This record gives sequence, C-alpha cells and structure tokens, in this order.
Amino acid sequence: MWLQATLLLLASCVPSSLAIYFDEVNHVDYHHALLGFPSPQSTFFLKPSASSHGSLLYTLSENSLLGAVNPKGGFLLWRQNLSRTALPVDSNAHHLLRASEGTNALVSALGDYLSSWTALDGKLIWENWFVDETVADLELLELEDATASPSVKDTVALFGGKAAVVRRLDGDSGKTKWEHFDESGDIPFQISSSSTEVFYVSLQPSSRKGYRIKVTSLNPLNGRQTQQHVLNSESDVTSADSVLFVGANTAAPFIAWADQSRKALKVNVIGTKQVQTFDIENTSGESIRSITVHAPKKLESLTHFLVHYETESTTWAEVYHINLKSGSVSKAYDLPRLEGWSAFSTSNKDANVYFTRITQSETTVVSSASHGILGRWTHQAPPMEQALHSVSEVVSKGDTVAVRSAAVLASGDWQLIRNGQTEWTRYEALTGAQAAAWVEEDTQEDLVHQLQVEGHESLSGAYLHRVKRHARDLQHLPEWLKGLPKRILTSILTDEVSNLDGYGIVKPVLVAAENGRVYSLDAGNHGAVVWKVKAAEAESWNVKAILTQPGSATIYADDGSSVTLDASTGEILERSPATVKIRSVAVASDGTSPVTVGIQENGVPAEVVNGPGFFVTLSDDGSVLGWIASDNQRPAWQFRPAHGEKIIHATSRPSHDPVASIGKVLGNRSVLYKYLSPNLALITAVGENSVTFYLLDAISGRILHTSFHQGVDTTQPIASVISENWFAYSFWGDVIDPSDAKGYQLVISELYESSIPNDRGPLGSASNYSSIADLPLPHVISQAYIISEPISHMAVTQTRQGITVRQLLCTLPKANSIVGIPRPVLDARRPVGRDPTANEQEEGLFKYNPFLQFDGKWYLTHGRDVAGIKTVLSAPTMLESTTLIFAFGSDIFAIRATPSQAFDVLGKSFSKLQLVLTIVALSIGVAVLAPMVRRKQINTIWKATS
Amino acid sequence: MFISLSSIFACLILSVPALATSALTITIPPSNLLPNPNALPAVSHATLTTISSSAFASASKTNSHLTAPLSRSATFTFRLPPSTKPESYLLDIRSPEFVFTPYRVDIAADGSILGVWETFRGNPWDNRGVEKFVLTDVNPDVNGALTGSDLSTVDVNIEAKILTRRGFYEERSKFSPLALFKNPMILIALVALGFTFGMPKLMENMDPEMRAEFEKQSRTSPISGATRSAMSGGGAPGNFDLAGWMAGATPRPTQDVEVSTSGRESGGTTRRKG
Repeated sequence: MWLQATLLLLASCVPSSLAIYFDEVNHVDYHHALLGFPSPQSTFFLKPSASSHGSLLYTLSENSLLGAVNPKGGFLLWRQNLSRTALPVDSNAHHLLRASEGTNALVSALGDYLSSWTALDGKLIWENWFVDETVADLELLELEDATASPSVKDTVALFGGKAAVVRRLDGDSGKTKWEHFDESGDIPFQISSSSTEVFYVSLQPSSRKGYRIKVTSLNPLNGRQTQQHVLNSESDVTSADSVLFVGANTAAPFIAWADQSRKALKVNVIGTKQVQTFDIENTSGESIRSITVHAPKKLESLTHFLVHYETESTTWAEVYHINLKSGSVSKAYDLPRLEGWSAFSTSNKDANVYFTRITQSETTVVSSASHGILGRWTHQAPPMEQALHSVSEVVSKGDTVAVRSAAVLASGDWQLIRNGQTEWTRYEALTGAQAAAWVEEDTQEDLVHQLQVEGHESLSGAYLHRVKRHARDLQHLPEWLKGLPKRILTSILTDEVSNLDGYGIVKPVLVAAENGRVYSLDAGNHGAVVWKVKAAEAESWNVKAILTQPGSATIYADDGSSVTLDASTGEILERSPATVKIRSVAVASDGTSPVTVGIQENGVPAEVVNGPGFFVTLSDDGSVLGWIASDNQRPAWQFRPAHGEKIIHATSRPSHDPVASIGKVLGNRSVLYKYLSPNLALITAVGENSVTFYLLDAISGRILHTSFHQGVDTTQPIASVISENWFAYSFWGDVIDPSDAKGYQLVISELYESSIPNDRGPLGSASNYSSIADLPLPHVISQAYIISEPISHMAVTQTRQGITVRQLLCTLPKANSIVGIPRPVLDARRPVGRDPTANEQEEGLFKYNPFLQFDGKWYLTHGRDVAGIKTVLSAPTMLESTTLIFAFGSDIFAIRATPSQAFDVLGKSFSKLQLVLTIVALSIGVAVLAPMVRRKQINTIWKATS
Repeated sequence: MFISLSSIFACLILSVPALATSALTITIPPSNLLPNPNALPAVSHATLTTISSSAFASASKTNSHLTAPLSRSATFTFRLPPSTKPESYLLDIRSPEFVFTPYRVDIAADGSILGVWETFRGNPWDNRGVEKFVLTDVNPDVNGALTGSDLSTVDVNIEAKILTRRGFYEERSKFSPLALFKNPMILIALVALGFTFGMPKLMENMDPEMRAEFEKQSRTSPISGATRSAMSGGGAPGNFDLAGWMAGATPRPTQDVEVSTSGRESGGTTRRKG
C-alpha cells in the first residue's frame, strides 16, 4: 500500500500542467463514438424500462458492438463489444439481439456467446457460452402464465453444432432450464414462440434437391416435444436463404417462402399443416430482386404482416391479415408501386400495427387495418440517399400520427428522420477507417509562387514586383477593416478557434473508409462531415495511404490504383487504373516534387525513381530489404532475423522530425551529444515467447543495436516507435526467473554519440559521414518500466520546430484511451536506487521507479471512451506549442494537444475582458485622483510659503 | 504456507483433469472514493492475464486473456475453464476514472483457484501482499495431485480495493473579485487610499485637545511622522532618511525628522485652519 502511495506521489511530481481544461472539451477535441453498420434484424426502438418515458435505439452492429443510442441527438449512451469474450467471430455468425418492452434487459448472441445486458446502462445481467456450438436463433419467451414474474423474461435459444439444441435459459442467471436435443441432422434454422408453445423450425434435406421445413412444437415449461409436422417445400426451398420469414412472438407466428421463380408466395401459420399460396402480381415487367416480410413482434399486436417486393427500379408491398380463429391468411390491400427504392418498417402502438414507408422523396405511414394514409411528409431536398433498412416508432394522437425512423443508408450512415425532417446522421461507415490525412490548404501556394518570382528577378524588378504585390494586397484592406470590430468583439467575448484559423490548427481531415467512401471532417466544427464521396469503383477497397498536396489528395489502394480528389469539394479529379498488388506506398523525391512508389507484396518497389533516395521494405518471406531508388532489380542489402524469428513490425523516424538541440545539456553544463541519424529503422521480430528489436542503419543494413527479451507473450500487442535519438517499445513480459515481475513493460532507449559528456565520438563534429564505411555505433542507455496497460500502437507528437517537449502517444486498447507520456518522465537517465544529485535535479531528473503509473492528466482522451483505435497520427501546426492528433480505427478521435502548455497562444484563462476592465478602472482612478493631487500640491506650495 | 503452495504449482502439471469450472467473483464495495459502486460506467471490466504459450496459441488464447464485464450488481465474474497446466494470472480491474489494486490469482490445471493475493507492480512476482483467499483444505499427495472432494466447485469471492481516482482535467483559476482582494498589492493600495481619504476626516472630527495631543505624539514618533508627511501631499519628504530609519540608525536622523516634521506640521495645521 505504502509502495503504491509513493508511486502515485512520484507520478504527481512530474510537471502536471499537461492536461486539458474541462471547459476546452469539445473545443480542442472531437470524438465520433461509432458502432458500425447496424444489423437489419437486430436494430429496434425500445422503452428500456417500465418507468422510462422515451424509448432508445438499440443495435447490434456487424462489428459486434452492442449499443444504445439516444434518438434525441443521436449520441451514444453505452456500448459493449461482444467479440471480446468470444473467439474471433467468423464472418457469417448471426448477430442476434432481442429485447422485451419494460424489462430493462437485452439478450444478445454472437457465435457461441450469449449475454444479457441492462437496457438502461449496459451492464451485464448474465453471460454464458457453449463451446463448439453457435447460436442460430434467439427469442424471448412471452408467456401468458403466472409462473414467470413479469419483470424477467426467459430466453429460448437454438444452437447449431454437432447436434441442434434448443435451450431455455433463465432470465436472471442465464442458467439452462431445459434442453431439447435434435440429433436428426437437420439444419437448425429458426425458433419461434407463441404464448403457449415454442416452435423449433429446422430444414430437413429431402432425398432429391431442396429442403422440407420441419416444425417441432415444444412445451415451454419442460421442453418436451408435443407435436411435429413437415411441410413439403422441397421444390421451393433450396437453401436457408429461401425462407423469407419465420414469425416470432406474434399471436399467430407464421413461415413465409416463395417459389424459385418468385411467382407465388407461400404462407404457413405455424402449428397448422395448411400452406396457403398467393400469386405475386408482378406487372412491372422486371424480375423481382428481393422479397422481404415485415411483421410486428409483440404478442398483443394484430396478426397482420406486410410483404415488400423489390425489382431493379420499382417497389411495392402487399398487406396480409391472418384470421386467428380459422388460421387462414387473406390479402387485405396493396401499397402502390413506386419508382425507386423504399424501406419499410413496422411499429406497434398497443394492438395497432403501423407500416412506415420511406422513399427518396417522402415518408408515409399507413395502418395495417386499412390502406388510408395516416401521415405523409415530404423530405427536404436533396433526395435522400438509398436506405437499406429502417426501424420506426409511430405515435398516434387522435387521427394524426407522428413518426420517427432510423434508416440505415447504403453508404453505411445511420439517419434519424422525424416527420420527414432529418434529425441527425451518424457516420457509422467511419468505423472501418483505413487511412487518414490532413488537408493541405492551398492559400499559401500563391504567395510561395510570388516569392519565387521575386527571387529570380533583378533587384529593381523584384522591388517593383513586391511594391505591386503589396499594392494589390491593399484591396483587401476595406474588407479587413470592416471585419475588425467584429473580430475584436468576438475575441473578447468568446475564445473560439476561428481566430487561429491562419495557424493551421483547424485543418480538415480526409478519412478513407472501408466501403470505398472518403469523408472530410471539419476540425473547427466538432468533426462534422463536410462532404463524402464514393471514391472507389468497387464496393470496398483497401486503402494503403492518403497523400495530400495543396488543394488535393491522392488515395492509394492496395491494387495499385489511385484516386485524386479535390480536397475542398470531394470532386474526383483523376483516377489511375489498378496495376499490381501493393503492400505499402513509399514516398521518394526526384528532385522537385515527391514521387510515390508502390511496394509489392514481395517487398520489391513497383517502379524506378530517378534521383537519390532509398527504400527499406518488408518482404512477405520475413526479411527486410534495402533498395536504392534507382534500382528495383536487386536489393542493396537484405536483413534476416535470427532463425525461428518472424518480423512483425518495422518503423522509422517520422518524415517530419525536427531536432531542436543536437545535445543534451547536463546539470554541470557539459553536453551529452545525441546520436542523430536520419536513416534509422527499428525492426521487431518475434520468436516463440521472445522478442528482439533490431536497430538498423537503413543505408547499409548494418545492425546498430539489438535488444532481446524473453518470456514475452507474442499474442499480446507489441508496439514500437522511434524518433529523434530515442526509441520505445512495449510488450507483455512474464516471469522467467523468480525475481521477475509480471506485467506489461515499456522500454525506453536513448542513443548518444558517446558515453562521455562533451565527447562526440570518433566522428567529432564532422559534417559528412558515411553509413557504409566506419559508421560509429551509438551509446545506448535504456530503462524499462512496468505499466498497467497493454499498448497497441505508439506514435510521437510532432511540432514545427521540435522545441516543445515530445509526448509518447500510446493507444491503450483495454482502457479505450490514448495517453501522452511526456518524454521527461521517460528519461532513460533517471537515477536508479538513489535520489538524484543536485546536478541531476537541475536537469529535471528524478528517481527511477520500476512502476510507471499513468497520471490521469496524461490521458488525451480524458473522460471519453475511445474504442478500437488502430492508428494515431500527429502533425505540426504553425504554432510551435500545438500539435494535431488524429486517431482512427473503430472510433474517430482528434485533439489539439499542447505538450508544454500553450506558451505561444493566449488561452482561455487569459481573460481579455478582465484586462480591459482593469485598464478602464485604472484610467478612471487616474482621472479622479489627478485633479485632487494637483490641487493638494498647489495648496501645499502656496500655504507652506505663506 | 506460500512456499508449500508454490511447490504445488511445480508438480501440478500432471494433476488430474477435472471437469467443472470454478468461478471467481470480484465485488466492488462502497468506499470513500466511490460511495456508490453502481455508478461505475459500463465499460469497466476486469482482466486475467498471463503468458500464452505460443505452441497452443490458438487453443489457449481464451485461457491466457480472460475478460469479465461489469455486472449490474457491481461485480466481475470469471468462469475459469480447465487448462493444460496451472497458471498464475495477473488480475487487473479497469475503470476509466478509478485505479484498483492488482491481484495475483493462482489457478490449478483443473480450473480451481489456489489463491488470491494482492500484488505490487514492478516487484518480483513472488513478492505477494495481503492474502485474499487461499485454498486451505488441500494436501498434495505423493504425486503432487490435489486431493479434495469437490475441489473444483469452490467459488471465490474477493473484494476489490480502489487506490485512487484519476483526475483528467486541469483546474482553471477562476476570476473572482474575492481573489482580487486577496492580492497584497491591492490590499496595500486600498489601505493607502483609506488613509488618504479617511485621516483628514478623522482629524477634523477630533476635539482640539486630543488633536493637539495626537500631533504632539506624532511629532515624537518617526513612523507616524513619516506617514503624516506622506499624507500631507508628499510635498517635501526629501529630508526623511528612509534607509537610515529602516536600518535602525536612530539618534542622528531623529533630529532631522524633528525639523522636517515640524516644518510640515505647521503647513498642515495652517491648511486645516484655512
């Protein structure tokens, strides 16, 4: 205990003025808490508990994230990642989410993992998993008996695996109440329940082609089979996808399927043997592309359902009623055929059922009982993007209705439309962000050009040119003067970012998402999407890099193709076709402009660049290759790790990595010179329970330093970064020797030219050196810390001159945060086992402690839950104190960080109003006192002499 | 006790494969830092971590990193499946705002919990702290296998301890008039202002005898003399040797002071009369 306390005390000794102020939250940072593409069958509006007023929007997304969204405003209330407890989810696993009104419980299933969560705050009620079985379907039992208390609903789940199993799980503990095994080998398909029975629907392969639908009725109390019948559907049903719908929890659950030519719709009310056939009236002349059935899911609702037909260009729907007594199905009415797409959704209000239809121009609501339109709202221009599916909530008041629908758009965005008005849009497609880059604005471009002209002209010509340029600039003066009062006023009253626009701190960010779309996020406006375009020609792409030029950006995909976009509008300027499959994109310089070179999978540069430069590439057979830019035939050098090791990561110093000082001044005024080589590469190679970090010289391929660690869990993240004259890495270190510690480790190593202060080693202050001949080795000082969190990704903050203290940006995947550890804390020269001497104290060194507790103030994400970050980028701004940080992966998070405080900007704490008031008060004081003093002085002189 | 247990681990590798799983439940009790554990956010979770032997990487993946989400009763529950060999896990409890003590959890190959101790980060793993739970009714037999009737059904419940609360935000000094008045410069200015305006009024309201007395006194006291000289308009303070006075050199300057004050005194009185 005392130990921990001292550690915390030590951590608090560090200069603590790094954190952001509470009132700056949402000004300097923004965060898109995303869920991913909402699954069609697992998204709904739900009143979380009986006492709550409004309903929330729940979804289990295709990224296995379960979350609750407030329909007012569209912000996330809570979320849980369901894949974390299960093994890697296979792609065709069912994402199932069920809930019952007013029970404050959701039940979800993914793969073999079943869990129940409180609807209000997302805490676990129970979890259970069944090894080697996958959940095929899930329903909540809505029994009308008195044995089950109304606040808890049991779950019936259907499992596939070696044998099909139906289990009833307790609603409080998740324990199995009964099991029903089906070892017939039929494909477990769906489960459905009425108020008195549980129906287990399976597909029985027929001797010829196709499947017969087998319905088994089970007693919900003990799971015993009560009856079983088989429907002759083998001519129609060729796969599980052929069955359109198995109705759940309505008073009369039913099965619907269509014949293969999509000419007839067949409906069976579960529990009966009768199959009713309806002709599909298709007068469009086009073939039907899809048929969807929408039915209410509540027990008390009317037994009506809607069948939605879709052809290439038109959609229409039919509404059917089921007669509860006779079990017969009849067609009630048609909804008209309309051009374009439609998205239908069902909602209940007590027993009444409403169908909502969203088209690109309007939203309409009809009652299931009659075809009269209850509400019609026209959407604002422009026409709405295609919605794939939607959920709706209808409120009726007398004759009028109000509706709000959450529609999932083809672009992956999630939009809430209330009475035809778009309330909010969640850009869920950003979950799959693959690359991002800051836009370079082209405002300075013209000036640069002008200055170039001046540089090339004669003295007088250049002078004239400059005078003319300044004269031309005068035309902006009236405009500037006009804006001046407003600027002064706003700068006093608010501290908005707009005043700092010119310093490049609100640069928009381009993000390339997995679904082929590119988004532009406005940093000045809480990261709102300015524009989005579909830049890929295919449905998805794998973006390797985004490179920005002033005014435009080029996106490189892994098939060797590239797209150039206008950075301010998103307009596609240029497209280059696919060539060879590439692993990464390298940037070289051919003298004037940067040139990009794709690196193929085998590590060979795809093309030759004229001019100096070199590449270091990773090949797929696990070696590192060094290339001269002008030769892509033979590598200049090749590096293979020790036998049994595999290279997992390679990193180099960032392209923009300015060094403010070439040495480190010690307390006694002597200097330790930094080993600064621009050609350093840090290679991570893992063996079985070991990791080796190789520091290479990228020109010659020579190993400069090696560090080897045993007892490393190679399945846990191993992150590394290199900058300036230091590198850092992190891994899980386990106990090898009894005196070892167990936990995540963070190692920092600093490179110096010599171990002796004021000594520059063999090279001295030579301005030239050769990597090939006599390259001196660095003097390396390392220190390791135990940390409490795994680190999945590392980056370093970048500022314009590198004067500001650097922060090591670590992504903490378990804590869903990004932490910026100040470099002075990670000084490898901290004294071990003794207190620092006066000289060391002067340097800012303090005693080494093996445990590094992350101070809350280092958390750049502060109170936010920033999940699934894969990459963190940092960019300098025109202000030395300020660095831009952008993190993407699953969520999107960006912040403007000031690692050494905002020393070149007046922050919010500087109250301009107070300054003005003080000056005014002083002026008044002077004005009042001056005459008094003057009178007194005159009086004194006169009266003293009299 | 510990030594005997650690010797068990060494020979547990060959112990009998048990079937049932045991459960480890961590409860968060109300404490000063966190009076209501139900207020913890849903992202809070606990993890059990140890090295995964890469030979069984795919099979043991679930066993080497276990995660338990926060339940609605503010607990974390791990179901511990049997493993191929005994494991020693690091138990971390993670919540955005709170820092919890880490624990060491030793688990036998059959999934039963051998012991739970507090542990100290950055210390040797054998350096254990407070014992939270230890399986007592177990005696290793000759082969090192555990004997005990229903060993694997032991469910363990321990309480988590909060170490500290993380402060994410920097406090901004707020503008308040009170803080302004706490500033010594402002206070001095105010006192001086008070003297400038208040003193003459005070003097006028005194009856003439007291005033004479006061003036007499002030003439003898260098301090009040200096104050008065400053008050009366700072006309000619040049004669007052401030440095000398502050240095405590009394005898010589007193004379000077007497001269100067008397001179100004008359001025002051005449003004008041006129």
